[in-house]
Amino acid sequence: MSAPWVDLDPTLVVVAAGTTTVGAVSGALGCFAYLRRQGLVGDVVSHSALLGVVGAFVLVHAITGSASRSLFILVPGALVAGTAALMLARSVSIRTRLNDDASLGVMLSIFFGGGLFLLRWVQRQSPPIAGHTGLEDYIFGMAAAMTRADLWMIFALGGGALVVLFLMWKELKVFTFDPDFARSQGLPSRLLDTLLMGLLVAGVVIGIQTVGVILMIALLVTPAAAARQWTSSLSTMALLAAAFGAVAGAGGALLSASAASLPTGPVVVLLATTIFLLSLLLAPRRGVIARARARRVLRDVPPRAAGGAS
Amino acid sequence: MIQGSDLNFRADQPALDVEGLTVTYGKEPALWNADLRLDRGSLAAVVGPNGAGKSTLLKAALGVVPRVSGRVRVLGEDPARRRRLVAYVPQRTSVDWDFPTSVLDVVLMGTYGQLGWFRRPGRKERALALHSLEQMEMADLAGRQIAELSGGQQQRVFLARALVQDAEVYFMDEPFAGVDAVTEQSIASLMGHLAHRGKTILSVHHDLATVPRYFEHAVLLNRAVQAVGTIKEVFHRGNLDRLYGGRVPAGVPDLAPS
Repeated sequence: MSAPWVDLDPTLVVVAAGTTTVGAVSGALGCFAYLRRQGLVGDVVSHSALLGVVGAFVLVHAITGSASRSLFILVPGALVAGTAALMLARSVSIRTRLNDDASLGVMLSIFFGGGLFLLRWVQRQSPPIAGHTGLEDYIFGMAAAMTRADLWMIFALGGGALVVLFLMWKELKVFTFDPDFARSQGLPSRLLDTLLMGLLVAGVVIGIQTVGVILMIALLVTPAAAARQWTSSLSTMALLAAAFGAVAGAGGALLSASAASLPTGPVVVLLATTIFLLSLLLAPRRGVIARARARRVLRDVPPRAAGGAS
Repeated sequence: MIQGSDLNFRADQPALDVEGLTVTYGKEPALWNADLRLDRGSLAAVVGPNGAGKSTLLKAALGVVPRVSGRVRVLGEDPARRRRLVAYVPQRTSVDWDFPTSVLDVVLMGTYGQLGWFRRPGRKERALALHSLEQMEMADLAGRQIAELSGGQQQRVFLARALVQDAEVYFMDEPFAGVDAVTEQSIASLMGHLAHRGKTILSVHHDLATVPRYFEHAVLLNRAVQAVGTIKEVFHRGNLDRLYGGRVPAGVPDLAPS
């Protein structure tokens, strides 16, 4: 009798390891995006990544004549596009009267639209560019296409991001909670801001192969929002969000492998959403049920006794 | 994280020396050619109308907003070299109190500057933080989530975080705003206590009626410093009329006649 894991398809092991890591990394990084109210920033980075991915593919094809969808080419493309979109959004909101959200929205539209346009152009080339099929998978994700080399890239970027997060924990914490005070202590706010953006970009870029550029934001924000329900400590929140993300990632890979018609990315996101909804309902103190119960207790107290509560 | 911090200063150096300071946000000047000199041990209120640049003056003195022109010296040095000797109490409402952290954790942030990069607060820092909380009568709430604090308790936490820095100069942005009467009293006595020990306090203050009660000096600010001195010297009807454009709110007691 063999143990069940011996039967696991090696491809599935690679995919599951990849989606688990992606879930854990984006869960932990997502806490900072969540607490700094920068969900939209993550969304801009992931949507712009499409232009970066397709652009890198086209560029490499034009230079070398060969087509490759290796993450070693596409990841730098996504990094450049995501960073460029953020920098452009920032300079637009500084130089014009558009506010931050509006300029981020504009950049999202331009870069995502540009990505779709370029993708269509690549697909319509004749003679067709060999190896272009699969690029469209970045829109909704295609975890099954993950190779061993992709997995190493995910480990390297994701692990690197987590190490930076660990080393700079206290600086990032005080900067996120009270940026003015952090500055008064001599912390370089520009640098920390850029660093957090960079971490976010790294998290997004390794995730888009799994869940795609459109759903990536869910993987960043949902585990963090779920974790916030259960704890009031930042470190516990980050660990819990990483765990939620990992469970969603692993579960998504395994579930979609067991049923042929299930797409991995959406299943990962649905699992994360389920965890979030359960947390929203069930969490002690912050959960919907606990709060309704607390309200009922207050209402049942005779008015005299309730008067002095603070 | 504290670059080139210098702990030595001469006793006769002014705590704060600002000359011709101009700071702008976009095209609007927030401060225009402001001059200010505060001796050590001053207990000074910054008063002035909305948009007078009160918070900006503090931030410029902290070296956290870029100046267009002018010179700022804290204890005779550039603010960037005096971080170890300066404590900052930002406006209570400037942070999200639903942030997942505890009272003790926030106070510990006051030790981050001395710890430097990468090092975590340890037992010694915890003891210092607890001691500061004791001074603010908050020690029994050390483990409390900050989301569960009242306005007055939030302000005590911020003051405890400033105390843990053991600074020479304290910049406070409206520490009395929205706190209960008991907290107001304990903040006032803390300020008096610090000033008595030779520490310098510069605090933005909105309630003109309580300025003479809580402070010894006043800085009248409207883009530029219009007057600075002891309460008796500068905090009178004539100056305030000029500062607020003749619309000094009613109910300002103990104003010396101009």
